Amino acid sequence: MESSFILVGMFASLVLLMLTGAGLAFVLGAIAFLATVTIWGPSALIVTVLNTFETMTSEALMAIPLYVLMASILQKSSIIDDLYTAMETWFQGLSGGLAIGTIVICTIMAAMTGVVGAAVAAMGILALPSMLARRYHPPLALGAICAGGTLGILIPPSVVTIVYAITAQISIGKMFIAGVVPGIILATGYCLYIYIRVRLNPSLAPVAEPVARVSLAARLATLKTLVLPAFVITSVLGTIYMGLATPTEAAAVGVLGALVSAAISGRLKLSSLSSAATDTLRVTAMILWITIGARAFISVFVATGGADSVLGFVETLEASRWVVLGAMLLVLILLGLFLDEIGIILLCVPVFLPIVKTLGFDPLWFGVLFMITAQMAYITPPFGYTLFYLKGVLPEGIGIGQVYRGVLPFFAIQLVVLVLFILFPDIVTWLPEAASARLK
Amino acid sequence: MHAAARALTALNKALFSLTKWLVYAIAGLMLFEVFSRYSLENPTSWAPELATLLFGPFFLLGGPYLLHSGGHVAVDILSARASGRLAVVLKICAALLALLFGAILLWFSAPLAHQSYTYAETSYSAWNPVIWPVKAVLPLAALLLMLQALAELVFLTPERGAK
Repeated sequence: MESSFILVGMFASLVLLMLTGAGLAFVLGAIAFLATVTIWGPSALIVTVLNTFETMTSEALMAIPLYVLMASILQKSSIIDDLYTAMETWFQGLSGGLAIGTIVICTIMAAMTGVVGAAVAAMGILALPSMLARRYHPPLALGAICAGGTLGILIPPSVVTIVYAITAQISIGKMFIAGVVPGIILATGYCLYIYIRVRLNPSLAPVAEPVARVSLAARLATLKTLVLPAFVITSVLGTIYMGLATPTEAAAVGVLGALVSAAISGRLKLSSLSSAATDTLRVTAMILWITIGARAFISVFVATGGADSVLGFVETLEASRWVVLGAMLLVLILLGLFLDEIGIILLCVPVFLPIVKTLGFDPLWFGVLFMITAQMAYITPPFGYTLFYLKGVLPEGIGIGQVYRGVLPFFAIQLVVLVLFILFPDIVTWLPEAASARLK
Repeated sequence: MHAAARALTALNKALFSLTKWLVYAIAGLMLFEVFSRYSLENPTSWAPELATLLFGPFFLLGGPYLLHSGGHVAVDILSARASGRLAVVLKICAALLALLFGAILLWFSAPLAHQSYTYAETSYSAWNPVIWPVKAVLPLAALLLMLQALAELVFLTPERGAK
């Protein structure tokens, strides 16, 4: 009985102390340390320190800085600008072409990098001004950028996916491959929505009159900009899919690919390497310090039998397993409104995964559902990451309210896709199962 | 007090700027391993392990400066709207939590790192290096975090002699 009292105390103080605005890492860590000392005495903290030593030398977690570094270097190369120019020549004649092109570029960038910020920031600078200059309906343009940018969470490589796979103790490579098909379906859904909506109401995205005539030869020439991204994508995902390298080694190969791309575009400077390293350490230190705190917190939760009592509680409910699944997804969506995704994964996955397994669901499939709820969280206020990135580049006269309005239909599409994957799990699981023989 | 707090912040910033380059060393080592495995057909015993040994110091030593620059993820729904006395109280609470975290981590990790040094503990891998230098980074980072939290508290007080 005493342990359940401590558990309630732990979660109550978690909520209370989080509100102070203190770093999540320190809140989780401090509560866990105090709870450990109260329950088992000071000597039990040695286990916590040993866990931390283990985190420090984890080969799997080491993939995080490498994928972030790769993204930062690519962002500073001219690949994205080149892709954008190519997209404009190809898509400008199409209804809603620039918005659809934005989604396409975001999808390509999602497959090259593992973080969300890069795509949103780049499209905010490149695509937004040109869409607004063509008198696109601002909410449509903003919604497309936000939704497209979050594809990076689901489409491999993805830092959020790595953290999920490690926490859920499933293969990172398999989890990566599982994101491919759902990511493409989601991107296609966004494009279809934009196309249909603009066909019904052409004033939302007027086609430039007259359409600048570009010869076929010139158009084909722009396709060479796809060579470098294709090279980077195949060198990372290809080696993982073929089982040639672990996701961490593939990330190192990706860093090399990014460096080569930057060198080819003539933007390989010491100053950009330095600022890429700064970005990388900032993101990595943030994620790994939370990991230390959250692991300490969760190990107290598990050791006091908290995880078992949650499982027992769910079993006594005798509710349909679909109701339980729906409740868990709802909790994830709600938490996403005000908590960072990495924190949500580290806290919820150890609690939810035993339930998922007991109910007979596939942890891999649940992971994909999780990534979609994470994307919903990224575009919904008040704690939507993409909204923060966009805020910085919004032009005069466009308020954050228009961003919120633009995001709503894309949120609805994410919800529809989520339900689709719940109803037809095979869409998610067939590719990783086909690849599993080769995966490491 | 303020001078000391500023000096410490500068030290943590310098450490951040130095350790950030380790990521290129980590990437290089992993690449070398992939290269020697497939091209030279001779996987090394040390490259991947050295990379994992650098990884801990890399992210740990970046943490203390992040406390100053506000880079740690936090829930700011209340603190972003707070003003006046409430804002100061919230900042003090946040700094005290980081201080507490750092202090406990230091207290319990220092003996383990010292033990590792005394027994010249090795990693029991094929390469088998001594690992106390890596373990010693945990108490060091905890100490620096603690000091940075103290510095943040100092920054909240008015500076003597300043107008």
